[in-house]
Amino acid sequence: MTYEELPDEWKEWLDLTPIERFRESEKIFANYLAMGGSLDPDPDPTSPFYAPEEWRPDAAHGRAGLRILRRGAG
Amino acid sequence: MGGQACVFYGAAQVSKDIDLVLFADADNYERLLAAMRELEARRIAVPPFDIPALERGHAVHFRCSAPGVEELRVDVMVRLRDLPPFSLLWERRTSFADDTGLTFDLLCIPDLVQAKKTQRSKDWPVIELLVDIHYRENAGEPRPDWIEFWLSECRSPELLIEIVHRFASQAHSLGPRRPLLAAAKAGNHGALATALDAEARAEMAKDRAYWEPLKRELEAMRRAERQTPS
Repeated sequence: MTYEELPDEWKEWLDLTPIERFRESEKIFANYLAMGGSLDPDPDPTSPFYAPEEWRPDAAHGRAGLRILRRGAG
Repeated sequence: MGGQACVFYGAAQVSKDIDLVLFADADNYERLLAAMRELEARRIAVPPFDIPALERGHAVHFRCSAPGVEELRVDVMVRLRDLPPFSLLWERRTSFADDTGLTFDLLCIPDLVQAKKTQRSKDWPVIELLVDIHYRENAGEPRPDWIEFWLSECRSPELLIEIVHRFASQAHSLGPRRPLLAAAKAGNHGALATALDAEARAEMAKDRAYWEPLKRELEAMRRAERQTPS
């Protein structure tokens, strides 16, 4: 995606200084954690570091605070 | 390096972990381990913290548990595919400082772009954005090495067409190294998009080939760890 195609919110992000971006990122990160976000890496079979057996299966994707009660078929 | 560097440069808004590239030196390893102790970090997954393994290109993964950084992952590498030794990466790093004097030393954008050329599909849009941002911020005062960087790495068809026409002689010189510049010069969007896609797929295949022996080692390490009584 080119700069011109970016949404306004992202253009505002690019208008910040690098240090301002880092500080804002810290706030986003804190909110993510407050909402129960997981720090596990996203499951990515294309990564050389991905090992399914090391994946923590009790964490729903992206939300460690959520527990899977039932898995759908397939 | 990694996602945190992308945050500073504007190509990402958040990263869930911290990736460090480290100078391979005994004193430096001691400093790293002291920092990991302070963060109450334990090594997770394979490989173990093993200097020869790091120097072969492996990443060592830690998870912190100190108050304030619980669960935060830190990945450490000392060697990156197709990138020069640490001393050169350090020499051309980008440093930012905040108003408290805290300094952040990052891979420069061209090195970060190279580091992001992985087999992971999620890295490629980030490369595109990093180059676009670099061009946008520096197009007013182009340096010869930046022109070469934009012509070599730009992945946005529209922007690449613009750059090729703006720097026609440099594009001509780089043509043998990046044949798709001819499609950009011709303004052939379809051919250019196809060639950019093929270029990414070739680089992903190169990364997979680089990691193949390392992945075999990782699998052997996992087997050995499973067989070791805890």
